[in-house]
Amino acid sequence: MRLRTRTAYAFLTPYLLVFLTFWIWPIANSFWLSFLNTRSANWTFNPRMTWGRLLVDPAFANALWNTLLILVIQVPVMIALATVLAVLLNSPILKARGLFRFAFFAPVVVGEVAYAAMFRLLFNEFGIINKMLVAAGLTSIPWLSDPNAAMAVIIIALTWRWAGYNAIIILAGLQSIPEDVYEAATLDGVSKVRQFFYITLPLLKPVIILCVVISVIGTMQLFSEPFLITNRGGPGQATETLGLFLYRQGFGAFNFGYASAVAYTITALAIAISLLNLWLGKERE
Amino acid sequence: MRTKLACATLMLALGSGPVFAQSGEITIWSWNIAASSLKATVAGFNKQFPDVKVTVEDLGNQQTFDKTLAGCAAGGAGLPDILSIENHESEIFWSQFPDCFVDLTTLGYTDEIAAKFPDFKRTELEVDGKRYAMPWDSGPVAMFYRRDYYEKAGIDPVTIKTWDDFIAAGKKIQEANPGVTMTQADINGDAEFFRMIANEQGCGYYSSDSQSITINQPGCVTALEKVKALKDAGELIAGTWDEKIQANKAGTVATQMYGGWYEGTIRSTSPDLAGKWGVYLMPSATADGPRAANLGGSSLAITSASENKEAAWAYLNYTLGTNEGQVTMLKEFGLVPSLLSALDDPYVKAEQPYWGGQKVWVDILSTLPKVKPSRGTPFFQDADKIMVAVQLKHLNGEYADAKAALDDAANQIAGATGLPIAE
Repeated sequence: MRLRTRTAYAFLTPYLLVFLTFWIWPIANSFWLSFLNTRSANWTFNPRMTWGRLLVDPAFANALWNTLLILVIQVPVMIALATVLAVLLNSPILKARGLFRFAFFAPVVVGEVAYAAMFRLLFNEFGIINKMLVAAGLTSIPWLSDPNAAMAVIIIALTWRWAGYNAIIILAGLQSIPEDVYEAATLDGVSKVRQFFYITLPLLKPVIILCVVISVIGTMQLFSEPFLITNRGGPGQATETLGLFLYRQGFGAFNFGYASAVAYTITALAIAISLLNLWLGKERE
Repeated sequence: MRTKLACATLMLALGSGPVFAQSGEITIWSWNIAASSLKATVAGFNKQFPDVKVTVEDLGNQQTFDKTLAGCAAGGAGLPDILSIENHESEIFWSQFPDCFVDLTTLGYTDEIAAKFPDFKRTELEVDGKRYAMPWDSGPVAMFYRRDYYEKAGIDPVTIKTWDDFIAAGKKIQEANPGVTMTQADINGDAEFFRMIANEQGCGYYSSDSQSITINQPGCVTALEKVKALKDAGELIAGTWDEKIQANKAGTVATQMYGGWYEGTIRSTSPDLAGKWGVYLMPSATADGPRAANLGGSSLAITSASENKEAAWAYLNYTLGTNEGQVTMLKEFGLVPSLLSALDDPYVKAEQPYWGGQKVWVDILSTLPKVKPSRGTPFFQDADKIMVAVQLKHLNGEYADAKAALDDAANQIAGATGLPIAE
């Protein structure tokens, strides 16, 4: 090995050691764990208790269904909203642009626990949302004790928190589109709406796909919102996500083998869906 | 090992020796009212042990469980001297971290002291010849009912002996009191009704030796049938803990079935309804069937990491092992004693003004010796989550009958735990 390479590795050693101990080893070890029956003190090799159980466990199916439901509804709505927000924020007519950009980005800065507590207050039975519904002549909704309403609260909360974040990323993409393309289009008499669909969106595609992939991975690992807002996936298991299910198996029931199998499944699904997104993005080129 | 043994002998000597002036500081983790009631006993304890400083930290129920788990997994780091542990969840600790807790026998928890508590409270706490924790409070099940609603329908609760009587009475009560529902259960998030009736009928999720799954045995089938019958008769509506309290206050429910600790909740949340509530025994499957069950209740354990184990034991023995300690907690915060001798206490024997002069504690506590053990096992949470989902499906009519529903539950629990289903 050349001296320079060796020096480089010497400098890298502290990091590599940390990486090996706290990343590679746990990842490898949990793969091994996922084949063990960890229900009692003597762990034995029995993949039927972990991988086998995944196939027949209705609670796992329920968590998977909930996660995919959030994915299918929340991610498209949020990305569409973020795109619209980004275009508005980019508008030259907008005054106090910096303030608005900050305001839409701010939810990400707020601590998870604080924002979850706010949402619980807003949506509780006597919260302001129900007060407003009643004032508007509608009936109040038991947001946190009805399964469908609780799911809606989770989706609303996620959208509130992450739409602005994605809007800022998309805004950066918008600003990289050269001005002269629009000038040419305007000279040719293309309307603003058609400019958006035929110029802005196609040129934004790589950025939007990036946002979708980030959001998909985030949703697959979703934990804090159903843990804090709907009190550990309640009512019943109506908002239990894969992340929460993994936590319940690992740290509620001490079933680390099954929890490891669930963890690997979540990772595999996230990778698969992200690859699908990337592939769909390339398709039409 | 040898030092461990020597230590144990030393402890034994200290614990059983004549009055050894205990001193030092002990810390306890607990939650809500339970923590407050422990604080209430400190004054009495300090009369006997003035040099022991007791600190009770109220972490909340879930936090106590999570932090105990984390502390035990870290070999006892950061744990207090005494831990509050719910009975049905306790075995998960003994089975995963047996070294995290002191065997209380080594500190002076003798057979005589243990015999002061009912068997059902001890079943999960004494495993493999070790006594990991001492029983604290219990939850003998009772029916809390609105006297005025029952009277208006001409129902005398003494005549309600079976669940079928209860349903028939409910029909009349709902007719006589428009807008009132007979009873309420958290069917969306809990299997509490099923667990109470099953326990009454001598059935539980697991066998008493915790080696097999018994959820589809006849007693449990009866329990699920009764829950379904109540629901189908329109006499059981869904209600979480908070919704039940709201219904009590609004007067839209005639009966609540719960552990005896619910007495304090009704009394403190609906003070203006004094004299309108009463208590009777839970109905059974047959007219001469068993009418005692238990829901909830906790215990106190001493950690191996404690530096003041003798002082901690002295506190346990005073607070849990004497009428003075247990009845203080009952009086101040409505924590139901599991100490059998509490029945002899003058406060327990007294008429309770809120309950229309009924001696509710005599009625509730006298069922304690009749409660059958229902072991939590290390797999309680698995079974409970599965049962909640299965019960909800069954109430929606997705199974042919209760037996089919519980067969499915048993199969799912077998898949989750690896235990066999009992024949």
